[in-house]
Amino acid sequence: MMGRKFGIPFLLLLVTIGLFILSLQFGIIHLHSSVLSLIGKGGSVDAATVWDVRFPRALGAVVIGAAMAIAGALAQGIFRNPLAEPTLIGLSSGATLGTIVGIATGFAGYGSAGNCITATLGVAIAALISRILAPNKNFGFLLTGIALASILTSVSGLIISVSHQAGIQSLSFWNFGSLSLINFSTVRVITPFIFAGVLLAFFLSKRLNAWSLGESSAYFLGINLSRFRLMAILAIALLIGPSVSAVGSIAFLGLLVPHVVRLIIGPDHRNLFLLSGLLGSIVLLVADFLARTAFQPHEIPLGLLTSLIGAPVLIILLRSRRAQWVSEQ
Amino acid sequence: MISISSLTVSRDGKKVLSEFSQEIPGKSATLLSGPNGAGKTSLISAIAGTLKPTHGEIAISGKNPYQSTPLDLARCRSVAPQRRIFTLAYTVGEVVNFVPKSLRIGDPERIYSALGLDELWSKKVTELSIGQQQRVSLGLALNQNSDFYLLDEPFDAQDSHFQHEILELISDLKKTKGVLVVSHNTDALHPYFDQEIVLT
Repeated sequence: MMGRKFGIPFLLLLVTIGLFILSLQFGIIHLHSSVLSLIGKGGSVDAATVWDVRFPRALGAVVIGAAMAIAGALAQGIFRNPLAEPTLIGLSSGATLGTIVGIATGFAGYGSAGNCITATLGVAIAALISRILAPNKNFGFLLTGIALASILTSVSGLIISVSHQAGIQSLSFWNFGSLSLINFSTVRVITPFIFAGVLLAFFLSKRLNAWSLGESSAYFLGINLSRFRLMAILAIALLIGPSVSAVGSIAFLGLLVPHVVRLIIGPDHRNLFLLSGLLGSIVLLVADFLARTAFQPHEIPLGLLTSLIGAPVLIILLRSRRAQWVSEQ
Repeated sequence: MISISSLTVSRDGKKVLSEFSQEIPGKSATLLSGPNGAGKTSLISAIAGTLKPTHGEIAISGKNPYQSTPLDLARCRSVAPQRRIFTLAYTVGEVVNFVPKSLRIGDPERIYSALGLDELWSKKVTELSIGQQQRVSLGLALNQNSDFYLLDEPFDAQDSHFQHEILELISDLKKTKGVLVVSHNTDALHPYFDQEIVLT
């Protein structure tokens, strides 16, 4: 068991590094030399392709993949619902709306810190609305989230349609989820937010285990319920808001990765966050690699790709008896 | 000591306890009995801090459960509810250690072996029987270091061997702590308890 506990994260870390190097090496532009020979070198077209375009993009995939997967695990934990994933329950749509409002009002341009903040606020407000409106914690909660997602997405679309802000129309591509807009400065801006979210998630991880037994059991063990819930929502907002503001919402990543991880290593939230983070990075690196290279010379939005792969996997998972989540009813 | 004075508790708009007063001493075992619907679980919940009374006062070790921080309250009372729902496949060992380190008792091994949890230690809670799950839930509550233990129907799904083991644990516990046990089936239990509260 000890070997498993350290071996699996180590293995996933190696895979992440391997995929990271691969995504620097391969793309639409063919490199004339190995990426490893370009380390520390500038000037050439190859070096510019690798360090100015592919490197920030791969870095973005690692950071955002981890953020979305950890946010999914955290949302499933705090809402005690196996389907509670930020894109399904309207939280990502809150981030989208926050991003669009920031850009349309001219308050904060794409990739700015201000935009991270409006997106983070968007998530927090969506979570609050969903909590106020939901009739109960299970079925009604999910349906409310789905309705909310649809409303918020529509409002975002409306704002994009009527806004005169330059360049806002190009965001409809972003809306399907794509890493194509990402550059070094975006990665630099979003990483501190996401890092704070990850730290907060790990800080909450032990109590999330107790939380799984229900609110009264958590309360019996000394957990301050409203404060704990608020901190978890803040963590989700810090993870999802900046991610969505940079690359749009990417469906299914946050839903599926934690389920797969639970099957491998069990439900303990500290392990769950660690492995979900690593696996999330891997999935997004692979998805972005495919999005860039599968239909050359066209690039496809990777959100479409994750939906195409993720939705069938979800159905298989729902039908599987091994899904590590027993119904509360 | 738990002191309850002129307590009125309603559940789903129906009054379940009215002007109820009682003192429950520490370092003793108290049996709380009465027919179904008499308000046993409501009384436990009111003391535990999860069912706010409409009227009256409660104090556990001098603290009002509705004005204390959750952490302070956790030091005053530990609760094993009638039913706990295990939705995720934690192992038994993981669940009993859901108690934060600062709140744990020093020597839980005796409790775990009495409850048969040492043998179930690496089993998944979701794959256990109801009776086994109930013992895990009890183990979790008893691993918490509190002044009072509120146990709701701890014998319910247990065979005579474990009923006896749990009674022995209660006898042991009451030397230093207060124990309040809800049960509807009391005949065989009387010798183990110092007093009985019958709700009607």
